Amino acid sequence: MAQLLFLMAGGAIAGVFGALLGLGGGILIVPLLTLGFGMPLRESIGTSLVCVIVTSSAAASVYLRRDVANLRLGMTLELFTATAAMAGGLIAFVLPDRALAVMFAALLLAVAVTMADGLRRTPPAASSEPATQERAATTPSGRAGFAESLSGPGYRVRNMGLGVAGSLLAGLVSALFGVGGGIVKVPVMNLVMGVPLRVATATSNLMIGVTASAGALVYLYRGGINPLVTAPAALGVFAGASVASRLSHRVNPHVLRILFVVVLLFTAIQMASKGLS
Amino acid sequence: MTTPALQRAVGAVLTIGTGLGVALLALGVVQMAAAGAGPLDRPFPPFDPGKLVPDVIALRGQGFLWLGLLVVVVTPAARVLASLIGFALERDRRMVGVALAILAVIGLSASLGAGV
Repeated sequence: MAQLLFLMAGGAIAGVFGALLGLGGGILIVPLLTLGFGMPLRESIGTSLVCVIVTSSAAASVYLRRDVANLRLGMTLELFTATAAMAGGLIAFVLPDRALAVMFAALLLAVAVTMADGLRRTPPAASSEPATQERAATTPSGRAGFAESLSGPGYRVRNMGLGVAGSLLAGLVSALFGVGGGIVKVPVMNLVMGVPLRVATATSNLMIGVTASAGALVYLYRGGINPLVTAPAALGVFAGASVASRLSHRVNPHVLRILFVVVLLFTAIQMASKGLS
Repeated sequence: MTTPALQRAVGAVLTIGTGLGVALLALGVVQMAAAGAGPLDRPFPPFDPGKLVPDVIALRGQGFLWLGLLVVVVTPAARVLASLIGFALERDRRMVGVALAILAVIGLSASLGAGV
């Protein structure tokens, strides 16, 4: 019983952190299960993928109702994230556990460095919304290209090729490490494709469900999902993410980010030592 | 841009799927706790699609756990299916093709995972 409660509480903490920082929580679930509960790495990744689907589906439904997510763009890109996730799921089952642990540690380190770098800057609102208004005025109609048909009010989608490449990378990362891949998709959509940050975040959230689903199905059929662990963890993450949505305006994001960077760095060291030992 | 009605319909599919999945998982966890099973018990019940319905009818905890997990995992695919119908009604052939391709990838993932 105590293990069950610890698992749900751990999932809830990951859900709170993930939702408040827009990361989905998957990046904390895998180390929690592997280092905290001694679970095999692949089972932890399978569990994390399910947790990521739950939070993504819950959040995406809200974004869609509020008309923030771009459904057409999200579906076009998720064709590539899902394809790569399917490949990633298969690759994860042939990689040695140690290699996977070291790669996961590298991912944690990369996310920590990215977040620490973000802490040093105070991005003005304009820098994350790349000149969308001017582009909106020049958006052509009629014989619009495919990328242009994916554009939304106030912005025009560009650099589809790079968007596809970013999506393939995000899908691979998602299935290999049990994360949503938003850490790749959001910057690619925002900085490379010209999608406003708010829309990019919402659209990334929408895409995470299908991406993680393609990876999770491989794990499901190959015995990589333990229902006794996944169910309580997913319930915890769902509860945590729900609470976080009500807490978001009361929490200082700067302090939260500092705390998260410290947790990520500590976890990266633990995962690396596990992989290298 | 997608019509608000389609976005709302697709959002509703996600809400229903997530709610149903979470409810089934909660039922399974309660039964699991009542039966004295721990999350780290080994071996864990394997995924067997053929046993899903009989286990749920017999009110076995593992049936609810697996059904809940399956509902969660296929909810995004249901969202794609709902989008496909919406795009077909809007006569957007390109997006219908995209939705079909996504469903094919999801189907292929399941097949490759099952080793079919």
